[in-house]
Amino acid sequence: MSASQRDVKTRIGSVKNIQKITRAMEMVAAARLRRAEQRIEALRPYAGAIRRMTRQAAEAAGSEMAALPILSEHDSEDTIALLLITGDRGLAGAFNSQIVRAGLRAAAEHEAEGRSVAYSAAGRRGVSTLTFRGKEPQGQYVGFTDRPSYADAREIAEDLVAAYVDDKIDRVEIFYNGYISPLTQEVRRETLLPLQQATILEAGDDDDDGGEADSAHHSLVEYEPDPEEILKRLIPDYVEISVYRALLESTASEHGARMTAMRSASENAGELIEDLTLEMNRARQAEITQEIMEVVAGAESLT
Amino acid sequence: MAKDRFQVEVLTPEGEVFNDEVEMVSTRTTVGSIGILAHHQPLLGMLEPTELRLYRSDSDVVRYAQGEGYVQVSPDGVLVLVEEAQDPGELDRGDLQDKQRKAEEALSSCDEGTEEHRRAARDKRRWETFLRIAGDGGA
Repeated sequence: MSASQRDVKTRIGSVKNIQKITRAMEMVAAARLRRAEQRIEALRPYAGAIRRMTRQAAEAAGSEMAALPILSEHDSEDTIALLLITGDRGLAGAFNSQIVRAGLRAAAEHEAEGRSVAYSAAGRRGVSTLTFRGKEPQGQYVGFTDRPSYADAREIAEDLVAAYVDDKIDRVEIFYNGYISPLTQEVRRETLLPLQQATILEAGDDDDDGGEADSAHHSLVEYEPDPEEILKRLIPDYVEISVYRALLESTASEHGARMTAMRSASENAGELIEDLTLEMNRARQAEITQEIMEVVAGAESLT
Repeated sequence: MAKDRFQVEVLTPEGEVFNDEVEMVSTRTTVGSIGILAHHQPLLGMLEPTELRLYRSDSDVVRYAQGEGYVQVSPDGVLVLVEEAQDPGELDRGDLQDKQRKAEEALSSCDEGTEEHRRAARDKRRWETFLRIAGDGGA
C-alpha cells in the first residue's frame, strides 16, 4: 500500500470517529430536548393557577395594584439592565452567539441615546463572551442551563427586582432563544421590568380551565392576610415565572439547536467519508494499473 | 369515626407533586399555622416556608418542605401552590447551610428598608426553616 493510500485511510478512520461522536451528541440532545419540553408543559398548570389567583385577589382588592413599585415606570430611564440567557456549553450552532449579538446591538442602541447599560448573563457562554469583550456582567448565573430549577429563576428575578425597586436600574430587558420547534428557535427580546399590568390580567394560554367557577363564590372567600397583601407577593411572582419560562425555553432551544447542528455535522462527515473512499479507491486503482503496465512492459521486453 | 376526605393538589412550577384525597392539610400562612379539614370555608392564603403535612389518615402522613406559596380552598378541594415542595429526606444539609450563610452575609451587607434587605431576610428564613425540617427528618 502506498503512502497516499495509507493517509487517506487514516483520515477516513478519524472522520468516522468524529461521526460517531456527533451522532451520540445528537441522540443525547434529542433525549434532553424531550425532557426540556416536558418541563415547559409542567409549568403551565402552575402559571395558570397563579394567574387565576391574581385575578381573584385583584377583584377583591379593588384597583390597588398600581401602587406596587415594580409596576410603576421610573421617571427617567438612565440605566438599562440587559439579561442575556445563553447556555453553559457550545457546539449548538448560532444558539449562543445570536443572543450575545442581539444583546450587544440593543446595548449600542441604548448607549447611543445616552443611557448606560448593565449586563447580567445566565450560562457560561454568555458570561465568558461578555467578559472577553470587556463588558463583565454584574449578575453571573452559571452551572444550571442544562436543567434550570425554579430556585435558579427566583435568584435571577429577585436580583433584578431588588435592583429595580431600589432604583439602581430603571428598566430590564431579557434576551433568550424562544422555543418554537426542535428545528426552529427565535431570538426574543422582552421587557421584564417595569411589569406591564396588561400582561398580568390578560387571559394567557396557561388558562387550561376558565376562571368562572372561581369567581362565582368569591364574595364568601376568607383572605389570609388581606387581598392587598397577597397581591403584593403574587405580582413579583410573574417576574419569576417569566424568567423561569425563558430559562426553560432557552434550554429546550439549546438542545434543539445542538441536535440540528450535530445532525448536519454527522451528514457532513458521511459525505466526507464517501469522498475520501472514492479518493482511496482511485489511488488504489491507479496503483494497480501502474503495476499491470509494468508487468506488461516487462513481458513485452522479453519477447 | 373516620373523617371526611377531600381532594388536595400540590403544584410547583416544576410540576405536580401530590394529588390525592386526604383528611387534613396542615401548613402555615403569614397569619399563622392552619389546619384545613373537609368543608372548610373558601379561603385564599399566602403561605410561608414550613413543613407541609398531608394527612391521608392519622398514621399515614405525607410531608414536604414547603417554600413560599399560596393555598386556595374551594368547594372542589384544596389547591396548594408552592415554589418548592421537597421530600424532607432529600434535603441537603450542607447545601442549605451554604445558602443560609450566603443569605446572612447579604443581610448584613445591605441597608435596612431596601428591597435587597427584605429579599435576604426572606431567603434566610426559608433556608432556616428547611434546615430545621432536614434536622428533624435526619435525627
